[in-house]
Amino acid sequence: MSSETIKPSIWAFANPTRFMGFANKAIPVLVIITFLLLAVGLWLSFIAPEDYQQGYTVLIMFIHVPAAWLAMMTYSVMSISAIGTIVWRHPLADVSLRSAAPLGAMFTILALATGSLWGKPMWGTWWEWDARMTSVLVLLIIYLGLIALSKAFDEPSEAALPLAVMTLTGFAIIPIIKFSVDWWNTLHQPASVSRLDKPAMGPEFLYPLLIMALAYMAIFFTLHMMAMRNEILNRRIRTMKMSAARKQSVTIPNEGAT
Amino acid sequence: MFGEHAGFIIPSYIISFCAISGMAIFIMAQYKSRKQELKRLEEAGVKRRASND
Repeated sequence: MSSETIKPSIWAFANPTRFMGFANKAIPVLVIITFLLLAVGLWLSFIAPEDYQQGYTVLIMFIHVPAAWLAMMTYSVMSISAIGTIVWRHPLADVSLRSAAPLGAMFTILALATGSLWGKPMWGTWWEWDARMTSVLVLLIIYLGLIALSKAFDEPSEAALPLAVMTLTGFAIIPIIKFSVDWWNTLHQPASVSRLDKPAMGPEFLYPLLIMALAYMAIFFTLHMMAMRNEILNRRIRTMKMSAARKQSVTIPNEGAT
Repeated sequence: MFGEHAGFIIPSYIISFCAISGMAIFIMAQYKSRKQELKRLEEAGVKRRASND
C-alpha cells in the first residue's frame, strides 16, 4: 500500500465529525472485545495455582500490574497527544489529552490501592516511601495537576498549549517509574515480564497476567474513545451557547432602538 | 476461598470493579446528558457557526 493512500485515511479521522462517526461504530466493537478479554483473563486468573511463596495473594498481581502498566501507558498516550497539540495545533489532540487524564488518574489510584492491599500481607506494610511507590504517587499528583489545569481556563483552546507543555514536562516521571527498581533498592523486585532473556514467572501466571493487561488496555481505549466523544460534544454545546449569547446581545440593543 | 488473605484479595477486586464500572457509568451518563443538551439547543434553533465540525 502506498503512503499516498495511507496518509489521507489517517488524517481523515483527525476531523471531529469523522471521529464521531468512527467512534460510534468502534465503541460497540471495543466493548465486546473488552468483555471477552476480561472474561478470559479473569477465568485464567482464578484457575491459576497458588504461588508457592505468595499463596492466593498472587491473584492481586493480575489486577495490580495491569493497572500500573496502564497508569504509565495512559501518560504516554497523553504525551503523544501533547506533541499533536504543540506541532500541529490539532484540536483533536487536545481532546485526546484531556479525556485521557482522568482515566490515567483512575489507573494510578487503582495501582496504588491494590499495591497497598498486596503489600500488607507480603511485606507487612501498607505503604513504604520506596522509589517505585513514591514515583507512582508523584505520577498521580501530576495527573491531578493536569486535570486541575485543564479546568482552570474558561476557553478550552487557551488551555491546550500550556496543558500540552506541562504534560510533556511531566513525562520525565515515566522512565523514573520504569527504572526505579534498577536504580534504587526498593521493596519491588526488578522487571519480571519485560526482560531481555525470558520472563521470570511461569506460564500459569504469565498468560493470565498478559490477557488481563490486554483487557485493561481494551478498557482504556473504550473509555478513552467514549470520553473523547463527550469532550467533542462539550465543545459543540459551548460553541452553540456562545453563538446564541452573541445573537442575543446583538438583538437586544436593536429591540431597544425600535 | 482464597485462604487467610481473602481480606486483601476480595477488596482489591471490589475496588477495581467499582472504580472501572463507576468511571464507565459516569462517562455514559455524561454522554446522555450532552446529547440531550445538544438536542435541546438544536430544537431552540441554535446553530453552530461551523457546520462541519
